Amino acid sequence: MSTQVEDPARAEAGTPARTGRRRRLGREDLGMLLGLPLLVIVVFAAWVLWRQTAILGPIEKRQLAWSVIGELTWQHVKLTVVAAIAVLVTAVPIGIILTRPKFRRLAPPVAAVANAGQAAPVIGVIVLLAIWIGFGFWTAVLSLGLYAFLPVLRNTIVGLQQVDPNLVEAARGMGLSQFAVLRRIELPLAIPVIMAGVRVALVLLVGTASFATFINAGGLGALITTGITLFRYPILISGALLIALLALIFDWLGRVLETAATPKGM
Amino acid sequence: MWQFISDRWQDVAFRSYQHVSLVIQSVILAMIIAMAVAVLVTTYRRLEPVANAISSVGLTIPSFALLGLVLPLVGIGAVPSVIVVTFYATLPILRNAVVGLDGVDKALVESARGMGMSTIRVFFRVRLPLAWPVTLAGLRVSTQMSMGVAAIAAYALGPGLGAYIFTGLTQIGGANALNYTLVGTIGVVILALILDALLLLLGRVTISRGIRV
Repeated sequence: MSTQVEDPARAEAGTPARTGRRRRLGREDLGMLLGLPLLVIVVFAAWVLWRQTAILGPIEKRQLAWSVIGELTWQHVKLTVVAAIAVLVTAVPIGIILTRPKFRRLAPPVAAVANAGQAAPVIGVIVLLAIWIGFGFWTAVLSLGLYAFLPVLRNTIVGLQQVDPNLVEAARGMGLSQFAVLRRIELPLAIPVIMAGVRVALVLLVGTASFATFINAGGLGALITTGITLFRYPILISGALLIALLALIFDWLGRVLETAATPKGM
Repeated sequence: MWQFISDRWQDVAFRSYQHVSLVIQSVILAMIIAMAVAVLVTTYRRLEPVANAISSVGLTIPSFALLGLVLPLVGIGAVPSVIVVTFYATLPILRNAVVGLDGVDKALVESARGMGMSTIRVFFRVRLPLAWPVTLAGLRVSTQMSMGVAAIAAYALGPGLGAYIFTGLTQIGGANALNYTLVGTIGVVILALILDALLLLLGRVTISRGIRV
């Protein structure tokens, strides 16, 4: 979600304001890198404290047992990670292909279709796929992957397109093959934008994985639905809180990856 | 499918209207909140990192989780829908409005002051029109997102087309499950595209002629 937000702003803000902003964002990024884990730890500790001391009814005790919570969290993480890997190994290569000279013409229509596809409500896509191919883990992975595919694809295309053509030309002139140019010039320069897309995708995946429970694919969303149907607020809030914390953790992981993957020269 | 829609076109139309109405009202509310905060943030610079951190954390929290956190406070129905949709709609507008207001040339503000305009007039005649294109871009992102969030909020018996999707889900295996889900999903896509086109049109009309690209 957030790159989508930053794109128009970055594109339209004047150049002097932009360079000033980028430096400030650097300090802000550092703040998020350190602040996020702190926030997660504090909230999680508070929740654990509440869980240990609260007087719970039998239903709540069963739903909030540590083994149940652990199992649901594991399912949630598994859904997110498997879908993220599936997205990475498909969206990045397709993005690379769409920016090669031979296929460059295809990029705008693909981007247009991708943007229109983003408007589809994810819950509708999940239910449609469940009707079509049945319930279960892989259906959930497929629909999550479809949803997170777009930001990674878009950022791969944008990242590769913004590489200075003069640099590519210079590298070609130095005798590098097309593949070497891609590997040694274009991809390293595009990595920050691509990784920003991956982080957005990770956050989207954690969020949408909470709908997996609707199609019997597990995940922490189960606590929310149980909480609502049984009208047990402790279960509902615990589920919502844990999903939010998981999203923050994955956002932090994405930021770490982003910082680690950016080449030193940039 | 056509049979399905023509049998209940009135209900489909009503839910579509509800969906759009929920989104538009929430986005307008979000616009007001976002502009107020943006003005505050651009006046007191020290608040900017705080606002940015809140909007990054806010956009990270999944909508279904926020819905779960809001429900105990306000119960089920339309109110949690409005709260959740407004919350997510505020963040992109806020971010872009801050960038837009930041991008206004200080010299222009100064000359407007020099011409004798009051702070409020400077805001409405100079800063807002210049920041408007960027803000509008945020508004479009917000609206697009809100259409999807509104569908999710229907789980707590909120208004709109999302209810069709959840009806489809509960009736899986039944004759109309696919129809319900398809009408709900495609309806949201169509409405989102129409709203986006209208916002583009709004941009054509409201972006000051001097800075139109």
